[in-house]
Amino acid sequence: MNFPVWELPMGGGILMALVSVLHVFVAHLAVGGGLWLVLAEGAARRRDDAALLSLVKTQSRAFLLLTLVFGAITGVGIWTTAALISPQAILTLIRAYVWGWAMEWVFFIVEIAAALVYWYGWDRLDARTHRLVGWIYFVAAYISLVIINGIVTFMLTPGGWLGNHEFWTGFFNPTYWPSLALRSAAAAIQAGLFVLVTVAFARRGDSRVEAARAWATRHGAVWVAAGVAAFAAALFWYRGALTAAIPDWADLIAGAIPVLPRVIGLMLVGAAAAFLNALWPLAAPRRWHPVGAVLLTAAGLALFFGGEWVREAARKPYTIRGYLYTTGLRVDQEPEVAAAGVAAFTRWRDPAASTPAARGRDLYRAWCLPCHTRDGYNPMRPFLAHRTEAEIADFLPRLHHMRARMPAWHGNAAETADLAAYLAADADHGAAVFPAEPAAAARLAWDAHCGTCHTLDGYRALRPSLVGSTREDFEAMLDALPDLAAEMPAYGGDPVERAHLLDFLTGAAGAAPDRSAE
Amino acid sequence: MNPYVPTPDVLPIPAPAPLFAALLHLTFLVHLLFMNALLGGGVILLGSLFTRGGDRELHEAVVERISKLLPTLFAGTVTFGVAPLLFLQTLYGGFFYTSSILMGWPWFATVPLLLVGYYATYLNAFRGRRLGGGRRWAVAAAVGCVALVGFAFSNNTTLMLTPEKWSRLYFASPGGLHLNLGEALLWPRFLHMALGAIAVAGLLLALLARRERAAPRLQEALVRRGLDVFLAATVVNMMFGFWYLLALREDVRRLFMGGSGHATGLLGLGTALSLVLLLLAWRVRLAPARSLKPLAWSTLLTLAVMILMRDAVRAGYLAGMADLREIPVRTQTLNLAIFAALLLGGFVTVAWMVRKLLSSPPR
Repeated sequence: MNFPVWELPMGGGILMALVSVLHVFVAHLAVGGGLWLVLAEGAARRRDDAALLSLVKTQSRAFLLLTLVFGAITGVGIWTTAALISPQAILTLIRAYVWGWAMEWVFFIVEIAAALVYWYGWDRLDARTHRLVGWIYFVAAYISLVIINGIVTFMLTPGGWLGNHEFWTGFFNPTYWPSLALRSAAAAIQAGLFVLVTVAFARRGDSRVEAARAWATRHGAVWVAAGVAAFAAALFWYRGALTAAIPDWADLIAGAIPVLPRVIGLMLVGAAAAFLNALWPLAAPRRWHPVGAVLLTAAGLALFFGGEWVREAARKPYTIRGYLYTTGLRVDQEPEVAAAGVAAFTRWRDPAASTPAARGRDLYRAWCLPCHTRDGYNPMRPFLAHRTEAEIADFLPRLHHMRARMPAWHGNAAETADLAAYLAADADHGAAVFPAEPAAAARLAWDAHCGTCHTLDGYRALRPSLVGSTREDFEAMLDALPDLAAEMPAYGGDPVERAHLLDFLTGAAGAAPDRSAE
Repeated sequence: MNPYVPTPDVLPIPAPAPLFAALLHLTFLVHLLFMNALLGGGVILLGSLFTRGGDRELHEAVVERISKLLPTLFAGTVTFGVAPLLFLQTLYGGFFYTSSILMGWPWFATVPLLLVGYYATYLNAFRGRRLGGGRRWAVAAAVGCVALVGFAFSNNTTLMLTPEKWSRLYFASPGGLHLNLGEALLWPRFLHMALGAIAVAGLLLALLARRERAAPRLQEALVRRGLDVFLAATVVNMMFGFWYLLALREDVRRLFMGGSGHATGLLGLGTALSLVLLLLAWRVRLAPARSLKPLAWSTLLTLAVMILMRDAVRAGYLAGMADLREIPVRTQTLNLAIFAALLLGGFVTVAWMVRKLLSSPPR
């Protein structure tokens, strides 16, 4: 590929996820919180409530420190990190959307300037101008979201852009509007969460201060609860749009991308927990407590972490779905790679690499590391521990049959041998030892072989075809796997592993379906 | 041809390259002004906090003025840093990303460094007095972080110019732990920028004192303090500029020594301007009542010339590898027009808000 791959022990994806989730968490607050401040300031002035006004002012200081500093710098951090992890994708995004980024930058400037003037203007500007500046802040922040939403959804569902490469076709792509609804609801949730956290930790005071606190607590809780309800409704809309835009969506959530069902679950649990937690301040605002604020923040983080991860996972193995693979290879280059081999497309090959394993290492960096790590997130070594070099070489050309939506491997015979030599030499053969507990050993034997392509009861469910077979049937089956289908590799497990796998298959054939274990 | 130079992207850029180059230079100029005020202002503040000697009133005036401004200057530096980075990536993305990856960790570290530095400026602005002796360490942390970020940028922007080094670094260690310390250009480039920042911040301090209409004696002392910094930094920086010139790769240096009319003209203009700056600053230093405007405009012009010289250096190093004229173009006229309109509207809005704030005295 065009760029060298940064070798990170924990994987680039984890670093990216960490920076982006923290940013997105604060960035949605930067939008919703701005609306809260200007509305709450208006309410305080209408009611002539000095205690409430003072509370809003205190909140605006926390808001400034959180969004202006943390939000802005982590936003820059996303760019920095993404260009390190997926340079080709960022290059493409800039080529296609530089005017979009430039427009967003203008609103970024207005937003930052307005936030500063709003804060420094508390004691200087007249009430009307101060609120007007607050509105300018909110409008600029919301339009930032409106623009970035177009570019982020473009990466997942570019729609007609794939055909015409037109800016606005890709911008208003199939998931643009439902995603905007989701993000608007998320901004409301974040605003409410911000209010509830700040009031929980605010200093106590006399009855007027407490009344102001209770008012803000109740309203913050309404924002969270209403935000979660709107989020849930938008989620249905979004799911419909995704199902239409990604034809194999049902397969993806049935286990074709193993992590997807789990992260969807995390997101839903986060949303439900935030909603339930909001009932407390709603019912008893004066009893709202920092413990609740901490729990609510955790729920919010789960919601955002899950939500962002769903988007990332659903895009696999692309960075721009249908256009660019995570490796940096464009989809339209595939026929060329298939004809010329992968080495011609691997720019970063070490001229000093003379052994098959050394040459294989260059291929591993370019074609495996963009998604995998050795031992961290999405690790390869434990998985490879159960395969010999010959098995790996046999398996590589079948990668695209795996359930985890791997792109095809286009290496020729020599390149495949090089990569297999490196992977086998690097594999963690110490991990090939099976646990003492029989069920765990059986499960591992399944995961290391059949489980890479099949699930028991979800995507490509095997259980229905196992039912009624005996251990002897499975013995015979394992010896003749390539006869079952052309894409099936031969089974090469040693006698110990074979026994564990037979245990698993026999057990599965006699047990009831269980979707939860996929 | 170096095999590690990335193939240009197949997608066209959505406006002619010279337009993006102009936007790059223009936004970088604004970024530079904010960055200079931030880094240079921080250094001047740090100097005051660590020396404490002399005029107590002047000391207080310097500390309070600069402390109050640093967070806002940080915001300006970051917001106006985003745009030139965007336009640089539009034109030179392939080079910039490769060098960034080679120095992955130090480059990524700019994010936490910016966070710590930014918060340190707020800590100093909001709680400075209450910190007592700790105040100087908060400011030192802020200045240190900003300087390290600048150093990371100097490493990256020099490493992106030398693709012949890339493969050796990467295959020696692909974990992104490199800097570009072996590069002759690195130190003069970084020091030239850092000292330039201190000079400009000195000038800005003088301008700020004038604008505030402080008590005449204090105003005069502040102007004098600012110009002393400006003069000292500029004299030394002329030497660093000469070092920078000597450190250039020979073929690039020749461009500035008659090989290219454009590059030689810029160097001549830049050198002449720095002499003019010294002269103008010295005149006001002798008679502090004189106008600072000629000096301020000449400084702005000098910064613009320096930016164009950096561009000529980059073009010289990447000659034969990155020709902006070869990038395919498919102009998005509508988007260009929307951006221009938004930019105008955005600046009018910001100007209105800032004017409103500055024209309303604290109640």
